[in-house]
Amino acid sequence: MSKLLSDVFYIGSGAALTMELLVGGILLGLALGVVFAILRRYRWARPVICGLVSVIRGTPVLLQISIFYFILIPALFRCDLGIRATGIIALGINSAAYVSEILRGGIESLPKGQFEAAYALGIPPFYMWRDIILPQVIMNVLPSLVNETVSLLKETALIATIGGMDITRRAQAIAAARYEYFTPLCIAAVTYYALVRILEFIGKKIENRKLYAENM
Amino acid sequence: MLRICNIGKSFNNIAVLNDVSVHVEESSILGLAGPSGSGKSTLLRCIQGLEKPDAGSIKYDGKIGFMFQDFQLFPHMTVLQNLVYTPTRKAASEKKQQYIAKANTLLKELGIGAKAGNYPSTLSGGQKQRVALARSLMIDPDLLLCDEPTSGLDVATISDVVALLRKVHKRNVTIIIASHDLDFLVEICDRIMLLKSGQIIADVRPSQHTNTALHLKSFYDFSCDDAREQA
Ligand SMILES: Nc1ncnc2c1ncn2[C@@H]1O[C@H](COP(=O)(O)OP(=O)(O)O)[C@@H](O)[C@H]1O
Ligand SMILES: [Mg+2]
Repeated sequence: MSKLLSDVFYIGSGAALTMELLVGGILLGLALGVVFAILRRYRWARPVICGLVSVIRGTPVLLQISIFYFILIPALFRCDLGIRATGIIALGINSAAYVSEILRGGIESLPKGQFEAAYALGIPPFYMWRDIILPQVIMNVLPSLVNETVSLLKETALIATIGGMDITRRAQAIAAARYEYFTPLCIAAVTYYALVRILEFIGKKIENRKLYAENM
Repeated sequence: MLRICNIGKSFNNIAVLNDVSVHVEESSILGLAGPSGSGKSTLLRCIQGLEKPDAGSIKYDGKIGFMFQDFQLFPHMTVLQNLVYTPTRKAASEKKQQYIAKANTLLKELGIGAKAGNYPSTLSGGQKQRVALARSLMIDPDLLLCDEPTSGLDVATISDVVALLRKVHKRNVTIIIASHDLDFLVEICDRIMLLKSGQIIADVRPSQHTNTALHLKSFYDFSCDDAREQA
């Protein structure tokens, strides 16, 4: 029994790294995703953004994490930012590609008149995006954003490739040491599932704040 | 004074406005009549700057308010927020209170004072119309452009719109109304121009005709027959 408890504690403490990667990654992903989605509407930036999004979506995340860790970060910063920061950057940029596509769909399905009304009232572009367009778009695509967050949570497990001791890596460590798979893998699965349910719960809470609902 | 000189506008090589010139006097109410597709909305959109004419020039110095046919209220903001967002965005906090007071007064004047805290989705068509009007008045426009302000409204609500626009006019606001509702235009306008295929084919002042609507309808029928021949 105490062995089970200590396993739960050991694997569960990997949730700290998992959550850091998730929160950091999704915040970076949202921020960059918004920038990508808006820049994409300007003709001069479109080819660059489209190319970037296409490459990010067309290559494995596992590879992207390694490329950032072994090639890009050392080349750009001339130092080791560490596993956690590298993971956040790699996952965040990966997520930005998906978030920007989600937002693009939301922006395109908003009536053109909303942009025109903002223009007619003399609202400058920055405020139009921040106060008129994005709040509506984000509310409309919230379920997709929650999905993206759940996907990202599961992708954080790839941090193991550069040595991160997250939930998955710790479960594997116990399994490898004791040749016992059932308990550690079950603990890891239950931990992830609990985190997913918490994310979904938070998503629902935010969605319920959507007061204006239905017929816009 | 609004001076529109020889403007032209095409979409996909199809001329929608063709050499249109209009001078609109200050504090007048101008009606743009014409069948659907004749270019009324495009002309209003050019004046507001939502479309860029291919040819000609539009000169106006003054603030322009625009009332969209489908209102385009901001659905994530309450009625009051819709009204005060623009004026309070960069105002100091004492000034903000003034704008909020102004908005509430305006809503009361328009008979929807009780709806200040509502979201647009909870309002009827006529109420949304009033909010849209109030929102465009918050920026104190010198010129108000209204696109089909009576579409989708019942007869009683239409006569309210007439009364409301008259009130706005009393503040010395120049108004241009695009509508296919001739009787409505005749009731409220000083001057009515009839558009057909992007050209002005009639320019009348209701005060100078005993039955302006009938007079305009003669052009209408002629233009409808024309359209049928072309089809
Ligand atoms: N953005 C656009 N792209 C292509 N065609 C357009 C566009 N806006 C208007 N049109 C066309 O221009 C013509 C005039 O439209 P509009 O000005 O809306 O007429 P009205 O308001 O008198 O009904 C119509 O045939 C319409 O299809
Ligand atoms: Mg129209």
